[in-house]
Amino acid sequence: MKKTAIIIFVSILFAGCSDKLVRVMPYEKEYFAQDKMNLSPIELRGEQEGHIFLIREASAGGESSFQGGCGCR
Amino acid sequence: MKKMILILMMSLSLVASLKKGDKEVEFKLPGLYNSSTVVDSQSLKGKVVLLNMWASWCSGCQHEMPLFVKLQKSYNKKDFEIVLVNIDTHKENGIDFLESVDPDKVLTALYDQTKYLPKTYKVPGMPTSLLIDKDGTIVDVYIGSFDEESIKKLQKEIELLTKSSK
Repeated sequence: MKKTAIIIFVSILFAGCSDKLVRVMPYEKEYFAQDKMNLSPIELRGEQEGHIFLIREASAGGESSFQGGCGCR
Repeated sequence: MKKMILILMMSLSLVASLKKGDKEVEFKLPGLYNSSTVVDSQSLKGKVVLLNMWASWCSGCQHEMPLFVKLQKSYNKKDFEIVLVNIDTHKENGIDFLESVDPDKVLTALYDQTKYLPKTYKVPGMPTSLLIDKDGTIVDVYIGSFDEESIKKLQKEIELLTKSSK
């Protein structure tokens, strides 16, 4: 009985420690809030990338009607 | 079995965090604009206080700040005071943002470089605001940012607290 109690007590204590070590607390998320930490940074330059993709592939009429799909732009 | 329950409860109390009815944590923090001005929690006793922990990088904090300015303007600071505790690593970021929304410096702004208050209160989210009564007891805990609706509810609570003699 005593042994079980000690095991439970120690495991709860360790669980508390691991939570503090692993979890980034809300007030520590300053660097996570930066733009460069965005999960999809490509999204920010998506328009530019799309334009380059369409020119390179030359498979469609570009992103808008006035752009040609000749691959020459 | 009784011993086990006791041990379990004691262990849980070790990880307990912020709750209503607790006494506020004593602090002494410098001003955000002027570090030579130090504000002591003792000096806030006798008035209703909304203690807001915020940072310039937190979008929710940015959202609620204009609401706070409006709210503070509708009260005398002797009765109700909004105390902002900034936890930015570089306080210039906090100053730049706050000056843009509160050019008249209506809000009391403090700087907590070591993040002492959020660490002590173990805040579960940013921003977190605590409504503290004249006695220094935490009356309500608000996790996340306020909007037009919730600020009206808060205002009602402030009305009650400022009128009570306690």
